[in-house]
Amino acid sequence: MKYETQKIAYQYFVAATLLFGLQVIFGLLTGAKYVWDYDPLMNIIPFNTSRAIHINLLVVWLLIGFMGGTYYLVPEESETDIYSPRLAVFQLYLFVAIGVAAIIGYLVGWSWGMPFLEQPTVLKFGIVIVALIFLFNIFMTMMKTKKWTVIQGVLLGGLVMLALLFLFGIFFVRNLSTQYYWWWWVIHLWVEGAWELVAGSIIAFILLKLTGVDRELVEKWLYVEVGLVLFTGIAGTGHHYYWIGTPGYWLWVGGIFSALEPVPILFMVFDTLRDVREKKIEIEDKIPLYWAVGSAVMHFLGAGVWGFAHTLPQINKWTHGTQVTASHGHFAFFGAYVMINLTMIYFAVPRITGVVRKGHGRSLVALRLMVFSIFFMVLALGIAGVVQAYLQRVLGMDYLTTQDYMKLWYAVMWVSGWGVVAGVFTYIFDFFSMGRPSKVTA
Amino acid sequence: MTLSQGRAIFIWGTVISAVIFLGLTYDSISKMPKRTHAEELSDAVADGKWTWQRHNCNDCHTILGIGGYYAPDLTKVMSQRDPEWAKQFLKDPHKVWPAKRRMPNLHLKDAEIENLVAFLTWVNGIDTNGWPPKPMAVAAAGSAALPGESVFRAQGCSACHKLNGVGGDIGPDLTHVGSTRPPDWIKQQLENPRSHFPNSPMPSFAKLSPKDMKDLVDFLSSLK
Repeated sequence: MKYETQKIAYQYFVAATLLFGLQVIFGLLTGAKYVWDYDPLMNIIPFNTSRAIHINLLVVWLLIGFMGGTYYLVPEESETDIYSPRLAVFQLYLFVAIGVAAIIGYLVGWSWGMPFLEQPTVLKFGIVIVALIFLFNIFMTMMKTKKWTVIQGVLLGGLVMLALLFLFGIFFVRNLSTQYYWWWWVIHLWVEGAWELVAGSIIAFILLKLTGVDRELVEKWLYVEVGLVLFTGIAGTGHHYYWIGTPGYWLWVGGIFSALEPVPILFMVFDTLRDVREKKIEIEDKIPLYWAVGSAVMHFLGAGVWGFAHTLPQINKWTHGTQVTASHGHFAFFGAYVMINLTMIYFAVPRITGVVRKGHGRSLVALRLMVFSIFFMVLALGIAGVVQAYLQRVLGMDYLTTQDYMKLWYAVMWVSGWGVVAGVFTYIFDFFSMGRPSKVTA
Repeated sequence: MTLSQGRAIFIWGTVISAVIFLGLTYDSISKMPKRTHAEELSDAVADGKWTWQRHNCNDCHTILGIGGYYAPDLTKVMSQRDPEWAKQFLKDPHKVWPAKRRMPNLHLKDAEIENLVAFLTWVNGIDTNGWPPKPMAVAAAGSAALPGESVFRAQGCSACHKLNGVGGDIGPDLTHVGSTRPPDWIKQQLENPRSHFPNSPMPSFAKLSPKDMKDLVDFLSSLK
């Protein structure tokens, strides 16, 4: 750590870590409702509320993690302190307050009701304000020295894209098909566009610092990588436009572009491994490296392979709307974004607190527990989805009847979920054992 | 490769994809009103959509295949259920469909129920490029299936009765009902269940049109 204001990131990482713990607890609660038919909490926290909280917490903690990562990264890239540390802290508190208000709102039945974007409109405007403060603060920091590195440029581009796309998820549209058309501009173009830019630049920054390879090498491949991501990802939105009341040509456009989506992800795996192979300095800090390589591999399996498996319209026609999608969602988010965030946290926190770690035992335990458990979980959900597609779409069985035949796999999913929770709490314990910053700047 | 070649891949990759995507978006948005028969999108439908959102229905149910996977997809539900049945169900779900996995009673007002059914009826007409696909087994059976089978489905009979191992167990298994009960008995049972069993919880289906009643009786009588 070179600049005092990089310490701001620590507070973001604390918030992200705690919300991560809460997220997986709601995951267990949501999963239990599949395993047992009788739901004693049906009138207090029904499935829809529990699912909304589980997913909202995920999105919020990942975003807070990205923001923390940005506050850590930008001072080093710009070689100056953050423009306004006060604003950075205020922005975090405002975001957390909005998140808490949203969750309490869901519990009392206050919802806007589009999946993942359930936040009532007034809270969405609050989120826009948070995003504007954040972008202002980051932009003003970069403007202090005007060092436009590629890493910074891609990061800023991703953050601006992220904020702009959110606007497409705020307004009520009378036509459900059109509402969903724009809804995907937030959901798909976030995770297969804006977020990939943010994550790509963060990982490039970490690999640059860890391996000491030439900046030009890292930045050149970062350009190619995000170029391929956006080339396949933007028109690849079409794989969500097969069955929602949109014209038939999307079956072609969505099919072709999304079939190419694994290419940039595979590219990232090679990119990561090449940087490690061509390292100029001995990598002493192995923990973030393990997480970075793990993320590249799991990202490829979860988003690339699992996504490709059901992205072609000929297959998607049968699997759409089944647990196959849920399996892919869990795998992709874990591999691509959860592990990237933890890579960033494991890279930054020891440098902020100055702690010297002996060994990396507990972090590796957390990594293995999470990876193995997630793998079993998505395998169980995937099998449940295939069973469902067969019974419902091939045999024409009624939806509720199919659920009885999927019970075994729901049970495997839920037991694996406990493994994930164990991994996450091992991580949380490990996080707080990395010490605290000497004095948090505010 | 040089840095500037990398930058060129980034710029051109993004621009080409964005141009294709925005062009097709412009075209899609202009065609979607027709594909969704937007002229039938009344205020009741829009109000029904808001009721659907306000109660967060989409985080249990999927619609157009998107949402929670905890409850049935509702894209084409109104091809499967009659509107009166749907209204009764929304009034008190568990009473009408005593499934093991329950839907909570949302205590909807009558006007909200009307709007929701209008919304689902409108959604039912969206051209979804043939999704959800017709089940292969049903497609293979072709048109040989009796018309009464769709009445059986629309009225939700399988909530209580089993047919070939599929369905509820509140009422008796109907797999071979045609071999034990004559058509007249079945008709009487449908119109006035308590005339046979004074304590029967089965609702009367006397509301069915004469054609639907005849089709249903023919279908049940054929189950031997």
